[in-house]
Amino acid sequence: MNRLVALNSAAHRQLRVDQAQVLAQAAQLNMLPVVLGEFLKLCVQYPIVLTKNAATGRFSCIALFGFDKHENLFWQQGRWDAIYVPLQVTRQPFFLGDGANDQDKVVCIDTQNVAVTQTHGELLFDEHGAETGYLRQVKQMLAALLEGEQQTERFVGKLLALELIRPMRLEIEFVDRRKQRVEGLYSIDEERLKGLPGESVAELHALDWLAPLYTMLASLGHIYSLVQRKNQCLL
Amino acid sequence: MTPVQSVVVVGGGTAGWITAARIAAGHNTKSGGVRVTLIESPSIPTIGVGEGTWPTMRNTLRKIGIAETQFIRECDAAFKQGAKFARWVNGGAEDFYYHPLVLPQGFPKINLAPYWHQDSSGRSFSSAVCFQEAVCEHGLAPKLITTPEYAGVANYAYHLNAGKFAELLQRHCVEQLGVRHVLDDVTAVNAAPNGDITSVATAANGAIGGELFVDCTGFSALLIGKHFGVPFIDRSDVLFVDNALAVQVPYDDTDAPVACHTISTAQAAGWIWDIGLQSRRGVGYVYSSRHTDHEAALSTLREYVGPKLEALSVRRIPIRSGHRRLFWQNNCVAVGLSGGFLEPLEASALVLVELAAEMITEQLPPCREVMDVLARRFNQTFAYRWDRIIDFLKLHYLLSQRDEPFWRDNRTAASVPDGLQEQLQLWRYCPPGDHDFTSNKEVFPAASYQYVLYGMGFRTETRWHAHTMRQADRAREQFQQNDRVIQQALATLPKHRELLRKVQQYGFQTV
Repeated sequence: MNRLVALNSAAHRQLRVDQAQVLAQAAQLNMLPVVLGEFLKLCVQYPIVLTKNAATGRFSCIALFGFDKHENLFWQQGRWDAIYVPLQVTRQPFFLGDGANDQDKVVCIDTQNVAVTQTHGELLFDEHGAETGYLRQVKQMLAALLEGEQQTERFVGKLLALELIRPMRLEIEFVDRRKQRVEGLYSIDEERLKGLPGESVAELHALDWLAPLYTMLASLGHIYSLVQRKNQCLL
Repeated sequence: MTPVQSVVVVGGGTAGWITAARIAAGHNTKSGGVRVTLIESPSIPTIGVGEGTWPTMRNTLRKIGIAETQFIRECDAAFKQGAKFARWVNGGAEDFYYHPLVLPQGFPKINLAPYWHQDSSGRSFSSAVCFQEAVCEHGLAPKLITTPEYAGVANYAYHLNAGKFAELLQRHCVEQLGVRHVLDDVTAVNAAPNGDITSVATAANGAIGGELFVDCTGFSALLIGKHFGVPFIDRSDVLFVDNALAVQVPYDDTDAPVACHTISTAQAAGWIWDIGLQSRRGVGYVYSSRHTDHEAALSTLREYVGPKLEALSVRRIPIRSGHRRLFWQNNCVAVGLSGGFLEPLEASALVLVELAAEMITEQLPPCREVMDVLARRFNQTFAYRWDRIIDFLKLHYLLSQRDEPFWRDNRTAASVPDGLQEQLQLWRYCPPGDHDFTSNKEVFPAASYQYVLYGMGFRTETRWHAHTMRQADRAREQFQQNDRVIQQALATLPKHRELLRKVQQYGFQTV
């Protein structure tokens, strides 16, 4: 059976999605890509920084969950301990695939995903084959991600063009005296930002990108909340 | 006072454009600083054999404001991590050594050479002290796609298409740096009573004047040779090769691996270079016509390249080893082939251009009145550099045990510069170190001499100074550290071809 398939109200009438399992899949991820539209919700608890895709070297915005490769400090006692969970987690196990022509996108599902069951969780379709509120919500998330990814890519492109990205030097000491150097993370270059010429600032403002830029800067303080979370685990 | 406000570069090969670019970038040509004009003959083709660089090229490109991604994409460029010398010692199939670009582990804080002599554990010098040989042997790149532009995991230089490089530099000079490009033939040189060049006459653009003239006219040496008559010092008594047969060899398919180092293979009367670009290899046999003839040389090249050579066009380039007695005369400085030429054994052509362009740019005489002081300094610096390069090239030949007449003649004492003879005597008992190379004009570090000496089986007798070897523990740590770095590099670095493809597709980031 094909694993990744387009969603179909006849074939997938019985499928359910277990929300606890959806979140559990991110239990061992220390970061995930995020989009501009989420920044205001994310910045309440997560550091929003940049990292490079290992395969392409391209930058993307991510929310940071931990310092080690498989460390998610928001995953506590079998649940996600945060007010907001990034779209890249909650949209699982759905994704957008290419439709008949290039412009069209169709909602697809990973039928082998552990969150997909026949017994419990949210139904996708009701007994008449109509979409449930849950599926409509998923579709909104996917649409927000699709649009958000393009917008975020343009945002990152502008940051690069203005040379506003700089590598972060993170040297953390935990309560157990263990020191860790975290590499491969980047953030906004505050000094460059302060010295930005007026016309560049006006351009960022017109694009409505000043807010996400400062949101990223403000969110850096959550590095300390992450350290605190880690220290609580160590104590 | 006569301020230097206008520089005229005559000649449009890589030498001309690199010099024009460095001066223009360093002296605000675009925003009204020193004017730079480059006159290029539309009828004289460039030689274009300088296809191997030093790591210095990264700095040169950065200084003139060209992005690494653009350079690699437009110049068919690939990464180079040093040179592999095959069959130089005894000619056997297993005979090879590396001159990598990464310095020995711990260098210069600790000199591992004596410790390696004491116990090499059967390993070659370069593989015991440096991780780069393993990287090259595995066909890996010196960096990742996530590494910022011009930064490296391992030190690296480039192999490039010289013609395409000159085109990129030209476009960049004209569009970004404000260099005036005049396509015309120089028909005469106009001089002042004191000998200074006041202007060069051109066929269609009249006389073009300036305070400083840079001779980048290649072998014809229009200004430094023909006009000033500065004598050429022939060094073929030391370096015997006098001809090159060059050919461009396409890959068998687009997935073919690209060597990440220059491969230099010794032959009966010279050696063959083999460099990997993205779309083709550049291969050439440099030989001494006193020890072979052109026909025999061609068949040597055919044997190396294989039957596909028949369909390719082979170009013969004469090599006259040597340099001008002076590089800067009056208000004229020679950069590139007009200043001199040597066989491309250690890719010295482009680096000498870069060094000259750097010194001219950083020490550009503010006015004619102080130019002679700087000219003298320039001449001393470059006379020293040419001598050191000649010494270092000769060293490769001296230590060979090959038996052909070319190689035997290369070892005759009369052909070895005195300074080199002396150094070799010393190195029999003391390994090369920083005290051997104390000038701030040095081109090759002591490490390069170590790689070649010990790569070729030279032994340094450390017995009488064994009591000075007090860092045995640290040395052992360094050897172990090298092994760890090798494992790490092999586990993380991508194949060279794969990285080149990613540079085409994604490019490097600036941070």
